[in-house]
Amino acid sequence: MLVALVLLGARAGAVEFDAVFKDRVLPLLAKHCHECHSHAAKKSKNGLVLDSATAILTGGEAGPAIVPGDPEKSLLLKAVRHTNPDLQMPPKGKAKLSEAEIAVLVEWVKQVQPLKEAAGRAGLDWWSLKPLVRPAVPSGAVSGQRSAVSNPIDTFIAAKLREKKLSPSPEADARTLIRRLHFDLIGLPPSPAEVEAFAGEFQIGNRQWAIGKLADRLLASPRHGERWARHWLDTIHFADTHGFEHDIFRTNAWRYRDYVISALNRDVPWQRFIREQLAADVFYPAEPQLTAALGFLGAGPLDTSTQSTAPRTFDYMDRDDLVTQTMSAFASTTAHCARCHAHKFDPIPQEDYYALQAVFAGITKSDVPFDEAAETGLQRRHWQGLVAAADAKNSAVLLTPENEPLVTRWEGVHGKTAGTEWLSLALDSFLSSDGSTLKREADGSVSAGGTRPERDTYTVTATTTFTSVTALRLEVLRDEKLPMKGPGRQDNGNLHLSEVEVRLLGAGSTNATRLKVKRATADFDQAGWTIQHALDGNEKTAWGIHPRVGESHLAVFEFESPVKLAAGARLVVALKQLHGGGHLIGRFRLSATDSPNANSETAPPLVAAGLKLSCEQRTAEQRLAIAAHALRQHAQAELAKLPAPAQVFAVKAGMEPKPVHVLKRGDIAKPGQRAEPGALSALADLPARFVGTKREADRRVALADWLADPLNPLTWRSAANRVWHFHFGRGLCDTPSDFGRMGSLPSHPELLDWLACELRDSGGSLKHLHRLIVTSAAYRQSSKVEELKSGRVEGGGQPTSRAPFNSSLLHPVNPSTPSASDPDNRLLWRMNRSRLDAESFRDAVLAVSGRLDLTLGGPGAQHFQLSKGPQATPKVDYTPFDWDSPGAGRRSIYRVVWRGIADPFMEALDFPDAALLQPTRPFSASALQALTLFNNDFVLRHSEHFAARVEQLGTDTPSRVKAAVRLAFQRAATPEEVRAMTAYADQHGLRALGRVLFNSNEFLFIN
Amino acid sequence: MSARRDFLWRIGGGLGGLAMADLFAREAFGDDAAKPRPEFNGGLHHPAKVKRVIQLFMTGGVSQMDTYDYKPALAKLHGQKLGPTEKPEGFTGMPGTMMKSPFEFRQHGQSGRWVSSVFPEQAKLVDELAFLMAMTSKTNVHGPATYMMNSGMLLPGFPCLGAWVSYGLGRLTDNLPQFVVLPDARGLPYNQNGPFSAGFLPAVHQGTILNAGAPELVPDLFAREKFRFASRAADRDGLALLDQLNRAHAKTNAGDSRLDARIASYELAAKMQLSAPEAFDLAKETEVTRKAYGLENKVTEDFGRRCLLARRLIERGTRFVQVWSGPQGAVNNWDNHGNIPNELPPMAASVDQPIATLLRDLKSRGLLADTLVVWTTEFGRTPFAQGNVGRDHNGGTFVTWLAGAGIKPGVSVGQSDEWGYQAAEGKTYCYDLHATILHLMGIDHERLTVRHSGLDRRLTDVHGAVVKEVLL
Repeated sequence: MLVALVLLGARAGAVEFDAVFKDRVLPLLAKHCHECHSHAAKKSKNGLVLDSATAILTGGEAGPAIVPGDPEKSLLLKAVRHTNPDLQMPPKGKAKLSEAEIAVLVEWVKQVQPLKEAAGRAGLDWWSLKPLVRPAVPSGAVSGQRSAVSNPIDTFIAAKLREKKLSPSPEADARTLIRRLHFDLIGLPPSPAEVEAFAGEFQIGNRQWAIGKLADRLLASPRHGERWARHWLDTIHFADTHGFEHDIFRTNAWRYRDYVISALNRDVPWQRFIREQLAADVFYPAEPQLTAALGFLGAGPLDTSTQSTAPRTFDYMDRDDLVTQTMSAFASTTAHCARCHAHKFDPIPQEDYYALQAVFAGITKSDVPFDEAAETGLQRRHWQGLVAAADAKNSAVLLTPENEPLVTRWEGVHGKTAGTEWLSLALDSFLSSDGSTLKREADGSVSAGGTRPERDTYTVTATTTFTSVTALRLEVLRDEKLPMKGPGRQDNGNLHLSEVEVRLLGAGSTNATRLKVKRATADFDQAGWTIQHALDGNEKTAWGIHPRVGESHLAVFEFESPVKLAAGARLVVALKQLHGGGHLIGRFRLSATDSPNANSETAPPLVAAGLKLSCEQRTAEQRLAIAAHALRQHAQAELAKLPAPAQVFAVKAGMEPKPVHVLKRGDIAKPGQRAEPGALSALADLPARFVGTKREADRRVALADWLADPLNPLTWRSAANRVWHFHFGRGLCDTPSDFGRMGSLPSHPELLDWLACELRDSGGSLKHLHRLIVTSAAYRQSSKVEELKSGRVEGGGQPTSRAPFNSSLLHPVNPSTPSASDPDNRLLWRMNRSRLDAESFRDAVLAVSGRLDLTLGGPGAQHFQLSKGPQATPKVDYTPFDWDSPGAGRRSIYRVVWRGIADPFMEALDFPDAALLQPTRPFSASALQALTLFNNDFVLRHSEHFAARVEQLGTDTPSRVKAAVRLAFQRAATPEEVRAMTAYADQHGLRALGRVLFNSNEFLFIN
Repeated sequence: MSARRDFLWRIGGGLGGLAMADLFAREAFGDDAAKPRPEFNGGLHHPAKVKRVIQLFMTGGVSQMDTYDYKPALAKLHGQKLGPTEKPEGFTGMPGTMMKSPFEFRQHGQSGRWVSSVFPEQAKLVDELAFLMAMTSKTNVHGPATYMMNSGMLLPGFPCLGAWVSYGLGRLTDNLPQFVVLPDARGLPYNQNGPFSAGFLPAVHQGTILNAGAPELVPDLFAREKFRFASRAADRDGLALLDQLNRAHAKTNAGDSRLDARIASYELAAKMQLSAPEAFDLAKETEVTRKAYGLENKVTEDFGRRCLLARRLIERGTRFVQVWSGPQGAVNNWDNHGNIPNELPPMAASVDQPIATLLRDLKSRGLLADTLVVWTTEFGRTPFAQGNVGRDHNGGTFVTWLAGAGIKPGVSVGQSDEWGYQAAEGKTYCYDLHATILHLMGIDHERLTVRHSGLDRRLTDVHGAVVKEVLL
């Protein structure tokens, strides 16, 4: 596979680039082949590109295009000679190569040298893969800045602008700045009072100080996490439903959304953010509330065919989605492009891709319980540990001074009743209804063998020496011969006892009397399969003991009143096991007692025997058994008292990883070698394979460590670039989830590296980066295009700022103006203007109309009505929603996002398809968007609320209009605006005016 | 896409200007490759024969051997246990015994095409249709198969055919949405709105869903009546005031095409408010037409209404209309697991007359000269019985037909094996169907690409060949 790494190899020395190739071979390949096989044409038909010797030697899906030194065996020559009717190139309709041209190829192939192994690193020569080294901050002043440069960001920006002879734009005014920072950092507009206060500080004081203070206030606000969580949720395609064919509501997905909000508010270090989301269960077991972070792995769509009709295909596709999501989000790498073949453009062999699939090979998405309070979790773990120790008879844990009082106390309460004397029944006969072979064992028990029917009923007839029986005990016994050592016969060691019926048969009688059982207890009940089910008269329910297989269990049935046994009387016990699937008892023993205290704590014999003795008389084994029994019961009682666990839609941990194979051409029917868990082999400083990670969780841990490593250049560049992207509307690399060759090159690679180092070396603090960025001069620039700021007037002397949008294309402009030499503003000679995203628009409308509900967290707000659909997916109708209902004014981050049936209102403002990883939000403008903003119930109802609020803020229409503009635009209205709006409001009302303001570009855009 | 994007960056000087393609498709595009060209009849890469498309999508998987794929061998093998002995992925049960079609087949037209008795009306038009007799899916599961037939991918998140066409060719009219989806009144198809998604293309290219049975065909075309203040007069004056505010704002924030795009969007919205109600108003049609589409028959009413609406939209410049038969779920669609003799005929009857009428109507109005009609489904069904008389999912082979502009009538391509279980020859995938449709619209399917997440994505992924045999 090494050779695949050199696909784009261009490093000198990797391959012999002789003159013949450059001067003679390449031109004729360009002429005949490059249309379909070159990077220039972005075409690689059948995986083949023919624009470098390396690429030719690497070949495509059919194998290497040439065999060095052997033209006759070279596919390329066969193809151009048309010797094989199935392989004729160029294809039909295109000119065949001339004999002279073919001769050139033959000569070259004879001379060409084989690929050298060392060439394998050539594809690594790429900006994003290079080690992250803190660049020196450029020296030199930043023009336009009065004070000495304090922010390194600006020296990087200034250096590039100087190269292009450009200068930065002036600082924006106070109102623009506070509006910009508010929407950027918390996603809400400032109130008029906040604008006024800031403007005051900004005008009279130290501007740097005023901005810094504002940034600190906003970054400390809980609203900040609500705003920035949405960016991350977009990036990883989080939603509240499965999506896909059966679009089922994940009622517990919101826990992850709340986790992200909280993590960003707490400024959780980025490396820890990675570890929490991939493997909080292993990294931070003492903080069970972090289980919610594992919702990261449950974020994407899920086809429930995984669990039913097409498990292989959808398991594979689900893992593919996890690889894509994880590597895009954290490493900005398109590893998923190496599913069918080595990555065409980046140094990612297919083996790497399947190594990543193997990381997620043990993952099953489902609701996962967890404790919200660390203290509860601590207790739960403690008591669960004690139960486990009791099961394992672990004396080191059980026999401690700490536990001793618990055992003593238990004995004081239960010791007497636990000492019941049990005698095994003397068996007359035992029958199987469905063909199990029942056999008497030496210890008085009965074992079941032979064929294993689906269902069975064992009927035992027996006698006892007691003349009065108060209770019957059923022991189901561990047996080495049974699956999982029993006590059941099912493959998993379990059994299901549907009903127990006990009858009394007098001597010589054929009429048995059914005996009433008043209470049953068992030493262990499988969840949902309690011993009560063996008495409920319902044959569909049963008692089970999973997962505590491989050990004996017992159940005690107390009769309603003591049963008098005359001479020769027999007990007939029927054990109905009707669940199916061979859930049958593998070995059992029946005993009886005459003790009036047999209300049974179901103490095992060893415990019962020990309890009859004084402490000093007990054997070590008895002491341990009593401690185990007492502590298990105590622990189970304590566990029952704990608050019910919360749930999050995430991954079920601890599953057995499934084998993952490298698939030829990505075809599930063509498995190749077994894939070992790992990540990218392109980063030399980090392990490419996670050796020895057998357990599912270990693999996630290894990947998290791989990603979070300070030496992983992708991670830090990725995170720093995303932060920049959301502040400026465009990343320094403007393909934030693709740092490969199909992505863009960064505009300021040194600045990106500097920011990445700053993030890494500051301990992973995003807030540190936010503060650096929003206080920079680059961020504080005006967004306006000032064509004339260079002081020169172009040809006709007409100011082009008055021209229509595409003026720069229709009319030649002075090349020295920024909009001519850098029209994309890649060098940031001004700030980028941005349109509010769907959430910010909605939240801004709520805020200015006084309807914003700032409740933090919790289950999502449903802005729709649900009704039964034709199948598992309900009907989701957004139109009848009442915008005055409780919770309707909560921030948009708290919406339930229905993946398959998105809110049309949010979609109109470019809320993305949540089936898709969306590192950037697009912009669109359309008639349907305009109609939605103009007529949707949400906007109209809040126009009414807005009007009611404005009504109170003025005494006449003009004063109310002024208040409306101040609220909506955060500025004073111009006299012209007051005139026009007053006229409109007088005729159609303030509500109609609110609607117009909410639709205006000034409301929707941030300068 | 990069050239186009760069261009839009240039004129936009701002964020994600790409989406303005919708509004500026006919403005001066800097990028020739992506520009619909008049000399190509609006095509991108070569002359277009088709300007608009109506796609009829039968949800659930139409049983090919009970409709268009006549398999006499099944009569001989009926009742024999011949199928796979293990349950294939995506089958919902173990394959049962071979099952002959319960319906009578007869040959029709000059082409002598076999059609079962469930499609008496379409049978009369077989000489107008071109059949793909051996279409194949990569899956036997509804959700991914439905995605495949729409977006070419098994997974969600990719743009569908209608979105690609909208993105590539732009609008024919300002007055109506350009890609319209008409779902069954009983519910959405599998994957909900997923099959109409614009994926990573700008949101303007996603299907606009019209609920033909609902009181508000397009939500938000007008304000609801309860908002009295949003009167027509307030609308009119409000739009004027908005325009005034926006123009003043654009003046002080010059050089940003997005601001102009939004100004224009309100002008287009006003046009749509004027035009759409007329387009949607089926009462404008004659009694004869309404009856021919089956609007007066309960069985055909819903599908017929949507076929008629599709024709009215196409006629008025909508580019792409998708009409769905059947919602997702166990009933009221073509997913006839339980009982082919009982479940298939009512579905067939609900679409047969409306489809035949649609084809005749388009032809008589001359619309078929530049309109393509495609009839399809997500996969076929098994020749083996499920239970006694049902059939299970089968991606192995199924039938699609095309009719209209650029299509060679009366031909067929490919055939299934003797049982109708797998494609035997002339196998076609969604990629080939999509490549053919794009080809007819003047688009080279390999050259309409958008870079997304590390790849130059196209509708046909890395596959697809134009099915030349069905072309004139």
